[in-house]
Amino acid sequence: MVVNYAQLAWLASAEVLLVITALAVLAVDLKLRSSATPERRRSVALGLGATGCALGIVWLLVAAPDGSAPGGMLVSDALTRLVKVILLALTVGTLGLSGRSTFTPHVGEYVAVILLGGVGMMLIAGTENVLMMFLALELASLSLYILAGFAKRDPRSMEAALKYFLFGGMAAAFLLFGLSFVYGVSGSIEFRGMGAGLAGQKMIPLLLVGLVMVLVGLGFKVAAVPFHFWAPDAYEGAPTPVAAFIAAGSKVAAFFLVAKLSLLAFAQVGGSAAWGAFVPGWTPLVAVVAAASMLVGNFAALAQRNVKRLLAYSAVAHAGYALVGVVGAGSGSVATVTFYAATYAVTALGAFGVVGVVEAVAGGSDFSHFAGLSRRSPGLALAFGILVLSLAGIPPLVGFFAKFYVFLGALTPVGGQGPMALLWLVGLGIATTCVSFYYYLRLLKVVFVEDPPADSRTISPGVGEWAVVVVTTVLVVLVGCAPALFLGPLQAALASVGLGR
Amino acid sequence: MISTASYFWMIPLLPLFAAGLSAVLPRTARRASAALAIGSMGLAFVLSVSAFIGTLAGHGSEHGARSVVNFDWFHLGTGVVRLGVLLDPLAAVMLVMVSFVGLLIFIFSVGYMEHDANGGRFFCFLSLFAAAMLGLTISNSLILLFACWEGMGVASYLLIGFWFHKPAAAAAAKKAFVVTRIGDIGLFLGLLWLYGEAGSLLLFDAGRGCLEPGALALVTTTKVGSSLTAAAGIGLLLFVGAVGKSGQLPLHVWLPDAMEGPTPVSALIHAATMVAAGVFLVARVFPLMAGGDGVTVGSGTSGVLQVIAWVGASTAVFAALIAVGQNDIKRILAYSTVSQLGYMFLGLATGGVAVGMFHLITHAFFKALLFLGSGSVIHGCHEEQDIRRMGGLRRWMPVTFAAYAVGMMALAGVPLVFSGFWSKDEILHSAWLWEPSRWPFVMGVLGAFLTAFYMTRQVAEVFFGEYRGATGRVAHAAADKGHRQKSHHPVQAAHGDGVHESPWVMTGPLILLGVFAVLLGVIGTPAWPWFEAYLGGHEAVFDLGRLSHAAPVMIVSAVVVAAGMGLGWMLYGKRPRTSPESPDVLEPVLGGFHRALARRLYVDELYDVTVVAGHRLLSRLANWMDLLFIGGVVVLVGWVSNAAAYVMRWADELFVNAGFDAGCGTVGWLGRRVSKLQGGRARGYLAGMALGVVALGAWVLWGMNVG
Repeated sequence: MVVNYAQLAWLASAEVLLVITALAVLAVDLKLRSSATPERRRSVALGLGATGCALGIVWLLVAAPDGSAPGGMLVSDALTRLVKVILLALTVGTLGLSGRSTFTPHVGEYVAVILLGGVGMMLIAGTENVLMMFLALELASLSLYILAGFAKRDPRSMEAALKYFLFGGMAAAFLLFGLSFVYGVSGSIEFRGMGAGLAGQKMIPLLLVGLVMVLVGLGFKVAAVPFHFWAPDAYEGAPTPVAAFIAAGSKVAAFFLVAKLSLLAFAQVGGSAAWGAFVPGWTPLVAVVAAASMLVGNFAALAQRNVKRLLAYSAVAHAGYALVGVVGAGSGSVATVTFYAATYAVTALGAFGVVGVVEAVAGGSDFSHFAGLSRRSPGLALAFGILVLSLAGIPPLVGFFAKFYVFLGALTPVGGQGPMALLWLVGLGIATTCVSFYYYLRLLKVVFVEDPPADSRTISPGVGEWAVVVVTTVLVVLVGCAPALFLGPLQAALASVGLGR
Repeated sequence: MISTASYFWMIPLLPLFAAGLSAVLPRTARRASAALAIGSMGLAFVLSVSAFIGTLAGHGSEHGARSVVNFDWFHLGTGVVRLGVLLDPLAAVMLVMVSFVGLLIFIFSVGYMEHDANGGRFFCFLSLFAAAMLGLTISNSLILLFACWEGMGVASYLLIGFWFHKPAAAAAAKKAFVVTRIGDIGLFLGLLWLYGEAGSLLLFDAGRGCLEPGALALVTTTKVGSSLTAAAGIGLLLFVGAVGKSGQLPLHVWLPDAMEGPTPVSALIHAATMVAAGVFLVARVFPLMAGGDGVTVGSGTSGVLQVIAWVGASTAVFAALIAVGQNDIKRILAYSTVSQLGYMFLGLATGGVAVGMFHLITHAFFKALLFLGSGSVIHGCHEEQDIRRMGGLRRWMPVTFAAYAVGMMALAGVPLVFSGFWSKDEILHSAWLWEPSRWPFVMGVLGAFLTAFYMTRQVAEVFFGEYRGATGRVAHAAADKGHRQKSHHPVQAAHGDGVHESPWVMTGPLILLGVFAVLLGVIGTPAWPWFEAYLGGHEAVFDLGRLSHAAPVMIVSAVVVAAGMGLGWMLYGKRPRTSPESPDVLEPVLGGFHRALARRLYVDELYDVTVVAGHRLLSRLANWMDLLFIGGVVVLVGWVSNAAAYVMRWADELFVNAGFDAGCGTVGWLGRRVSKLQGGRARGYLAGMALGVVALGAWVLWGMNVG
């Protein structure tokens, strides 16, 4: 294997740019530390970080580095560039929500770690090699552990970070162990090489155990049942912008990875999740996890009295829906899953933006803090209403189309499997969606119907927060009404790399 | 082959199941654990007997008595690793011996461990050991054999260190583990080499196994260097493993120390079964050791077999010599075991599988008998192990005395009646006929003399004369075994009043073992060599004429035994010692040599100043290097600590400044959260995840088997 460093740098130019930005943020913040006020330091760091991300987006769109490093270590094509652009946009959104982050004085480090987390996620999206994939997952995860504990004065934040870390460490161990098994069977560490190596492979216990272990590692990243335990605590305890980053950025990267890995590496050992005709393999495992996520996520959310915890369980449920996309749709799964994950991420980012604003003013994120939001900040309440309805999947918002697209994919006949093979999973998805209406609408009832507390102040978001909430809300409506706006470029990119339908 | 015999693969699983179940039982469920262990062992014994009968049915035909079941373990790339189980006469006879002796020792343990609070754990470990030993016996794959071999090592470690709060026991456990590990490295290297040469570690695999003609021809003709064949190299490495496990020179040092474990453990593991696993291993791969000629008596001219013969003969004499100078009842038996294992190797190397294995079987019975007898003595004398503090016990422990005397005569090789005579005679006979040298025979005879001598000495000291143990006994017992319940009999100054016969659960197994120690000789006399015929797969023919061929060696051995016992009785029996402190009668005669014997010929000291000291030097060097390199890091850590202290002060000020109430509230809240965290919530999460993994894995594996 000949490594051409110039080529590597070219393929990873956007990531390199982001790392340079992170170092620049650290350096500038160090310079400003003694002279500038905290507010100024914060705006400089955030502005610098956002600029770096924006430059990265422009670079990816304009310069469009194309190609792949030996062994599939780095892959840069239309599809990965599109996903990286989405990830960068979500990173910018996270920075935008951090405008009032008074939880830490070390704002330079905070921004730098967010950027490094972004780099990890971009690398997750841009590799077709399990070694690189593991390293990228670790980079992203370690950044997120640090971020979750960044409010050092808040014991909840520390606790969230510790739990997230403990859980993540164990999941990573499983993932690596499982990958070593799959490598042992397939003899390759490249996605496509694994796929080729597994073709015609007998389904042996070693391989199945390996697949289960891989599923643990990935299930942790996407917060799927039963690897979701960390999520409610982490979402509740972590600083709100960080929770948004965990819910948005890392989800997109992880789901893109799951879809790609399923299609490229595990398609040959897919088995079948068809009702009454299970064939052991990757898809029935994912199907079980998806079904469990939809059930547990939605029913557990019913009992929540805290909006962040509610959003956490909602995220678990949405992970279940997205995994339905992995189970069904065959070669179309990358499209459905990426579409679902990206639109969910945008919606969640906006919703967390609103939660962050309310939390900063009202001092908490319980239901009581949201009472009468419509009278204290009508614009914010309207945006929140739209975002939550999209999460619930009400047409014409994007959440509806995303679910529809996933379910449609699951009912599409694929390779000898009839159209009704996955009806049980889709039926379960639709039924649990109905369950979810209850808690989403109850949240909206609190926002729109209940009276605000007597001593409440009006709530006014900062510029960054407004920008994020407005942009995400507009996107939710726009893409919901005209899905082709996003689906068009996505399918074009997929077709250009040969993963289209 | 009758139908139950085909279930022989279940035999090791039964005790394994019992071990697993009693591991999850509460610690106090002693009776349940004991019942599980004994029940599973009883069932294993029944199955073993039926398997044994099955091999009898297939007797006589070519390979008719061998049944093999192989299965895939896992695939790796294009390769397949396969395991298998095997039932042939060699395995069957070991199965019956291990399960029968094991069963008796399990029953004996019920009485012996009556006062131990951790009895449940004890039976769990015993079952684990039995599972590993039985698994080893029926392994058709050297990998499986190695796994069981290591499993026995672990069980042995756990059981030697069962009374781990006794420093000596903990040290002995560690020593046993480390020393046998040296042998295991050799064994493992041998396995790897064999796999490299033969491409399979299955013993029998329809012509592809490593003990079948194809592979044997390959390894015996492949040369490494100028003269060494691969078979010789592999054989030597495997023998290194056997040396470690079976306590042969120079790796014998762990076995006497292992006597710190409970006596049933010494009987089962360190006398009857595990230590014999090395002998069994050599017997199992005998065609490899013999250089490919198969199991034929008198083929002991291959290089490996010569090495084995010399090591065995030297160990037999060396350990018997040390046994003469020991005063601990169990240590004498331990050195005797080492010495007898040497005989077995000598028998294997000079006379073939049947000769070595016959002594293994008879030895298992009479040595288990002796150990259990010593356990009964120790139990009766309130944990006293020093033979100088015993004496005259035959009056209070008649059953134990009778059984012990039978075992002693079997071990010493008293002619005609006792099994030990026949099996030892076979060894001496084949050593006499050994072509390369007569010296092993001479050493064997010398060892036989010493064996008769030290066993007579032991019996005379323990069972004859006056009781010498009253003074200072309580203090000694309390200091030595503080963990066990204090003696439940009031100790009186009057001589021997506290000594008592053991309960029937202990004497019963003794009597049964005693019966077998006598009867087993019948199956291996030169006149009717049934055992050899059975292992060899042909019919036994009764022919009194063969006795006359063997007669000269038999007469020599009888004379030697008589001399040994006579000298022993003259020195120790006629004028019994009067006090524990009086010197041994041999001390004035032998002087410094006797002191050296008592100090076990300074082997441990030698290892201390060479191997252990060298190792220590190396670790000091490593430590020093570490310090040098890590020095910088240490400075860094100091710096980080300072920084942390600064942060803490800052946080402290913040909390203090935030006001008393807020501070209290936060702390209380933090406490509740932390206590929740400590109370197992995070652990609960991880457990939930692990449960998920197990459930998913089980589900999909189940699906695989159904679909």
